[in-house]
Amino acid sequence: MSYQVHINNFKGPLDLLLYFIKRDELDIYDIPIAEITKEFIKVIDTWKQMNLVVAGEFIDMASILMRVKVRMMLPKQIVDDDGEFVDPRTELVQRLIEYKRYTDGADMLKSLAEKRSHVFTRKYVEVIDSEKNNDLVQVLSDLTLYDLAKMFKDALENRPVMTPFELNREKISLDQQKEFIFKHFDGDGRLKFSNLLNRLESRVQIIVTFLAILELVRDGTCSLKQLENFSDIELILINKGN
Amino acid sequence: MDNNLKIIEALLFATPDPINQVVINKIFPKNPPDLKKMVLSLNTIYKEQSHSFQIIPISGGFQLVSLEEFEHYIRLMLSNSDKLTLSSAAMDTLSIIAYKQPISRYEIEAIRGVDSSGVIKTLLNKKLIAIKGRDSGPGRPLLYHTSKAFLEYFGLNHLSDLPKLKEVNEILESDTTLGQQIEAFNDISKSENDSNNK
Repeated sequence: MSYQVHINNFKGPLDLLLYFIKRDELDIYDIPIAEITKEFIKVIDTWKQMNLVVAGEFIDMASILMRVKVRMMLPKQIVDDDGEFVDPRTELVQRLIEYKRYTDGADMLKSLAEKRSHVFTRKYVEVIDSEKNNDLVQVLSDLTLYDLAKMFKDALENRPVMTPFELNREKISLDQQKEFIFKHFDGDGRLKFSNLLNRLESRVQIIVTFLAILELVRDGTCSLKQLENFSDIELILINKGN
Repeated sequence: MDNNLKIIEALLFATPDPINQVVINKIFPKNPPDLKKMVLSLNTIYKEQSHSFQIIPISGGFQLVSLEEFEHYIRLMLSNSDKLTLSSAAMDTLSIIAYKQPISRYEIEAIRGVDSSGVIKTLLNKKLIAIKGRDSGPGRPLLYHTSKAFLEYFGLNHLSDLPKLKEVNEILESDTTLGQQIEAFNDISKSENDSNNK
């Protein structure tokens, strides 16, 4: 794409549609629905490829566009109660124009605020009331060093209690699990993965066993076989002597 | 200067909020002076003596403000951090609320085409809008309207001072890229009608 239509530049699907109409100098009352739908979906796809989160509103608008497009293609035209021809685009066009009215309104408000921002008003500063001030002195004069020390002690005692707990580190080595795997091969040098899993208890054990299998496959000691999707995986020992 | 005039000047000087006749009536239980007339004479004095401030009508009352020409110096004194800034999404939403109040969130979202709960929260926090009550319709949604702070922020005296929204054809005329005249539309639908009748 020669231009970048970035998601952050649009306040919503209506904004994006108005952008297309403006850019391509389209007649808002005669929007080429097929093209604009294609363009709209293309932009959404690009955003998705860029791993941007595309809001549901954009997807919703894409479906509205497609519905209008389909209705335009119907051989039978839709007529209203008075038998007048109804353009399937009318509703969308009205929404676009309504939206444009209020965003234009926002621009007018912005210029009002700009105009207003040149003048300054006075700000209210609360002067400490002399009576209130006296009260504060009164309260402070009643405090003794003992009070402060007592408050400090209370504060220390009321601290939230931390409960310590221990995390036990499981010591399982890769070599240990390799041995474990070898022990369970049957006479033909085969071992079902599920068979192996049944014998494992902790999460760490499962993880290290899994790594051990990968390691064995990598160094050519074992191969893996799966007959069909989601079926049990079989480990096969490769006899290096052969 | 007559004493009442001095009192009113002192009131305007001491308050950050606009003062209206109701306030004046409370302060003068007997024969309250006409605030409008007082403001007019004060402004005349300020002009004659070329003071750097004036009284302006705002949010249904009057307020003492500095003259525009001193903006530069005042900005140098104030930190710019206390300046209220609004995102363009917030401005759009505020515009819809201003022109269609009282209005529910669903009606706002129907126009904007996007979820607006976050922006409404921002506007409520900045006290530019307030909750007016609940709609009697289904779900009894909250209704929003603009606040007095809104009028002050935009330098308006009454809501009726809001600039008129453009009519549909005005939008099309002012923005030629947004399509041609309505006639074009009529022509199209007419010709399509004709072809249908054939």
